[in-house]
Amino acid sequence: MTTTVGIDPVTVEIIRNALNAAAEDMNATLIRSAYTPIIYECGDCVVALLDAAHQVLGQSAGLPIFLGNLETCTLATEERFGRGVWAPGDIWILNDSYLGGTHLNDITIFGPVFVGTELVGFTASRAHWIDVGSKDPGGSMDSISIFQEGLRMGPQKLVSGGADQQALIDLITTNVRFPYPTTGDMHAMIACIKMGEKRLQELVVRFGLDTLEQARDEIFTQTEILERDVIAAIPDGVYAAEGVLDNDGIDLDTPVPIRLTITVAGTAIDFDVTGSADQTLGPVNCGAAQAVSALRVGYKLLVSPDLPGNGGSFRSMTTQVRDGSVLGARSPAACQWYFSHLGLLIDMVARALAPVLPDRVAGASHGDSMIILTAGVDPRVNREFVSLEATVGGWGGWSGSDGESALINNVNGSLKDIPIEVVETRYPWRINQYRVRPDSGGAGRWRGGNGVVREYEAQADMSVSLWFERSRQPAWGLFGGQDAIGPDVVVNPGRPDERRLLKANGMAIKAGDVIRCATGGGGGYGDPVERTAADVRSDVADRFVTVEMAQVRYGVGPE
Amino acid sequence: MDIGGTFTDVVTYDEQEGTFRAGKASTTPGRLSEGVLAGLDSVVDDPGEIGFLVHGTTQGLNAFLQRSGAPVLLLATAGVQDSYHIARGPRTRLYDLHYRKPTPLVRPRDVIGIGGRLAADGTELTPLDEQAVRDAARTARDGGYGAVAVAFLFSYLDPAHELAARAILVDELGADFTVSLSHEAAKQWREYERTSSAVLEAYTGPVVRSYLAELEQELDRRQLTAPLHVMQSSGGIVTAASARARPLQTLLSGPVGGAIAGSELSRRTGRPHLIGVDMGGTSFDVSLIVDGEPDVAAEASLEGLPMLMSVVNIHTVGAGGGSMAWSEAGGLRVGPRSAGARPGPACYGRGGTAATVTDANLMLGRIEAQGFAGGQMTLDPELARRAVGALAEEFDLDPMAMAEGICDVANATMAQAIRTITVSRGIEPRDSALVAFGGAGPMHAAFLAQELGISTTIVPRLPGAFSAWGMLQTRIRQDYTEPYFYLDEDLDPSDMAATLARVEAVALAALAHESVPDDRRTATHAIDIRYAAQEYTLTVSLTDAAEPEAPGFVKLIAERFAQAHQARYGHANLGAPIEFVMLRTTAFGDLGQPLPQRWPAARDAEFAHRRSPVRFGGRSFDTLVIQRDDLLVGHRFDGPAVVVEATATSVVPPGHSVALDDIGSLIITRHDDVVTGTDGGNPA
Repeated sequence: MTTTVGIDPVTVEIIRNALNAAAEDMNATLIRSAYTPIIYECGDCVVALLDAAHQVLGQSAGLPIFLGNLETCTLATEERFGRGVWAPGDIWILNDSYLGGTHLNDITIFGPVFVGTELVGFTASRAHWIDVGSKDPGGSMDSISIFQEGLRMGPQKLVSGGADQQALIDLITTNVRFPYPTTGDMHAMIACIKMGEKRLQELVVRFGLDTLEQARDEIFTQTEILERDVIAAIPDGVYAAEGVLDNDGIDLDTPVPIRLTITVAGTAIDFDVTGSADQTLGPVNCGAAQAVSALRVGYKLLVSPDLPGNGGSFRSMTTQVRDGSVLGARSPAACQWYFSHLGLLIDMVARALAPVLPDRVAGASHGDSMIILTAGVDPRVNREFVSLEATVGGWGGWSGSDGESALINNVNGSLKDIPIEVVETRYPWRINQYRVRPDSGGAGRWRGGNGVVREYEAQADMSVSLWFERSRQPAWGLFGGQDAIGPDVVVNPGRPDERRLLKANGMAIKAGDVIRCATGGGGGYGDPVERTAADVRSDVADRFVTVEMAQVRYGVGPE
Repeated sequence: MDIGGTFTDVVTYDEQEGTFRAGKASTTPGRLSEGVLAGLDSVVDDPGEIGFLVHGTTQGLNAFLQRSGAPVLLLATAGVQDSYHIARGPRTRLYDLHYRKPTPLVRPRDVIGIGGRLAADGTELTPLDEQAVRDAARTARDGGYGAVAVAFLFSYLDPAHELAARAILVDELGADFTVSLSHEAAKQWREYERTSSAVLEAYTGPVVRSYLAELEQELDRRQLTAPLHVMQSSGGIVTAASARARPLQTLLSGPVGGAIAGSELSRRTGRPHLIGVDMGGTSFDVSLIVDGEPDVAAEASLEGLPMLMSVVNIHTVGAGGGSMAWSEAGGLRVGPRSAGARPGPACYGRGGTAATVTDANLMLGRIEAQGFAGGQMTLDPELARRAVGALAEEFDLDPMAMAEGICDVANATMAQAIRTITVSRGIEPRDSALVAFGGAGPMHAAFLAQELGISTTIVPRLPGAFSAWGMLQTRIRQDYTEPYFYLDEDLDPSDMAATLARVEAVALAALAHESVPDDRRTATHAIDIRYAAQEYTLTVSLTDAAEPEAPGFVKLIAERFAQAHQARYGHANLGAPIEFVMLRTTAFGDLGQPLPQRWPAARDAEFAHRRSPVRFGGRSFDTLVIQRDDLLVGHRFDGPAVVVEATATSVVPPGHSVALDDIGSLIITRHDDVVTGTDGGNPA
């Protein structure tokens, strides 16, 4: 193949690598300087370098759910204040859920990049702040309006002409519970923005804007060609999937349906979620930008998992989101748990396209963060504590392999569990059990991964909040693979006051009480009958499957 | 002695003459000791004359990489025995629907839950189930296991249960059976990482032990009287006897020699920051020297499996000379796909047809076809031309422009990877010098330096054997950790001082055990500190074990921590509460270092050379080609030039000048600040 543009392929490739490296340098700067583990350990952040037309030049791998919507923030700012608002030395901040799409904890900081007087692009970063002043520390399980969820900012100038806007910074630090780490993370994000600015300026000076723009067009075209080749191979047609959240966290009896229709025509692919539920009273809503992100994640997982994202990505893709729906929320919808249906949506993309991409998809995963949040006073040191843990679960099997057990869910990046030795040292808890939950993954030719059981015994009186999802529709299997078993939380198992619940806000717990949290497994892939007896017996030996279920689900008895 | 993937390097230092010599033998994968002894024979006539011997072994690493270690039975606290397989549950590749965790070294069926539990303050909640341990010992024997790892909760606070378990295991299995206890492998909190350390040690331990025993026997047979020392991952050495007791410490020692050599070079040349670039046929490793010391991390991982131990940070980037160039969607790509050693670059003549970086270098005249890899191989320029030419046709480019373009893309990509590493570490590349070693490092180093804005590039003597040379520069080292978890306001400084004094006594006694004379033993102390409720720590040095008793210590150490935090992470919160997490004591035994060998001075400015056409920046230059040994102290010349020696080729682009320092290193200095030659393929 011959290139059709008047720029040599060597320069294009050097620039392509340089743009991706610039994004990596921004990301390294943010992670190096960040104060809170949710950023530097969990990687709950993303950065991007944009051109003057808000197209992505380079982007870090980052948290998938933040994929490809940073440009909505620079665009929204420009729509509100006009193109003339951009000035050298300015840095902006924004966290409005209806603009950025996520919850208020996700802060986007961005700025224009100038070379001389010419606006050549933008740099942007988004990271999760541990607290933005919601009614409960770190976020609530039961908010019913965005006004309970903390400080909400449309586009604001954080730095003007190189000078920190101290009045705005004071406003922020007086509205959040942990001002030290918050300002630490804010400065890390500013350093990241400045790193991106420096790198983009260096590239413009080194190559010239004309060359850079020619290279950009060529790079976007390469990405577009690679993605369209994959879409073209999918037979034209309409593919659909339906999913459901247990409830909105307030009205526990009413499920929240999510509906996805995918239409493939030639090299174009359309994602339509307009049939999903209306926005809810409880906090499971998100802005439309975030629904688009989730769909892009689903698309990327199947179409271009290894390709760095840029302005040529997603050109084959269109999306339809309904204003006023749970995926396109309007003020004052509560958005704290904006990601529960997004994780579901990502699984649903794979389900819808399974018939035509059987080798790329997988059975559904356990699907949500499975949160236990506790607060109280640790009597050993007489100090207040707050702990927040996400619980790992099973992922779906696929053609060629069993699904993984005990893995963090898809919207939580590279989050790790908290070691038992750290939990028991820091908080008045004892962990009696932490084990893989046998039989929780769906049976199949390729078995779904298992969830876990994590059992806590309180060493002091305290309050406990829970967010465990996906019990109405546990992870589904594909191609004859069986569905998984969903989550199960039991307070005081085996005692007269035993009770089961999956969501709670500020439940009182006494010293000696036990909470046993079990997470769901992943869906199976292919008919279990096709699994060899040797593999099933190996599963029994490794305690993935009990002797009983080996017989019931696979018809395999002991040798 | 340093065992690499292809060659085993041996460097000797003659104490009387003050001279270094390097030798090389093929690595013998089946019985590594054969290659080691052959390499030794190539430079030493009489092993009896050897006074000091240090060895970097890859035996444990190979057993790990090939998954040929001992089958391990793991005993873990009942109720939470799945921690090793849960592995804390993160996903490290985020766009992967088919993610699997790193493959663990034991299967779930190889894990036995053992009753017995300690509380978070180290007190016993339930006693050890001794019968369960005894039953497990029988399982180990009857089930064909080759080692047992024991990892109980909170054993770093009180090892009594682990020690009792070992007594029972030894009783049942005998003293020669490998039993690895987690608190000995890694005395730190975090059960998954500590368990993983113990399992890794159990898995590789038997292999390392039998290899060292075999090598010692062979050396004995050759009347070698000096004790065998073994390189550790931390950059220090221990006697073979110690290494047999703590084999985990040898696991990542292979590439460490280069970093140690870098820090020695830093001291000798007075340059505090160095970026080490070690490029071979199939690898490209970057290491940093910061303020004269190798950048050491407190933990590491191997194929995703963690280890809690001090490790010199080596960043593996890209793929080296074998990096392939190809076309994708109309765009040029170079690496990370690699032709590897087999088939290797097209010019190796082993059936490879893809154009690689080595092929491009050969076409450009930057490597010579004759005498490649120390004379082990002759390259075929025609095959290189064919491979690069085919790609050039796809892009409608002149083949020479294509060749230079491949090198330009490879250099730009490597430079960017280096820049990202320095950004993560908070270092500005232009404040550092670049040190190039390994066979292919010196070929690319000046180009990388140019991309990074670095003005000085150093190519040491014997760049192919730099790692082995580094091993001669090191000291006996023993690392101790002591978990010590206090908030600043709760600290009892005299207790901290007493604890440090106790550990120091143990550490110095261990050096005595390594036959280090009394006046050659020192111990240093440091504390891992973080801001309250943070996850990561920084290691902050103390002046000595008694420092905590100094007046105002808590305030002083908080300031020292804030300074370190500012330097490492770019910000600090002086006044915020801090937490002490761990005490670290390191004992050093100084065995005396070889003095630098002065390289002879030139009598006049002339040196032997010839001229050959080499392409730079789109045009052909009449370029100096010089044999390295013809260059003496005092010689100077300007690029373009190619300096050839047995194990490496140094390429000096136009716009650079070269001088020799007094130990014979090439000092390549860029004398223009204009970025040139990397815009790619623009014919002049």
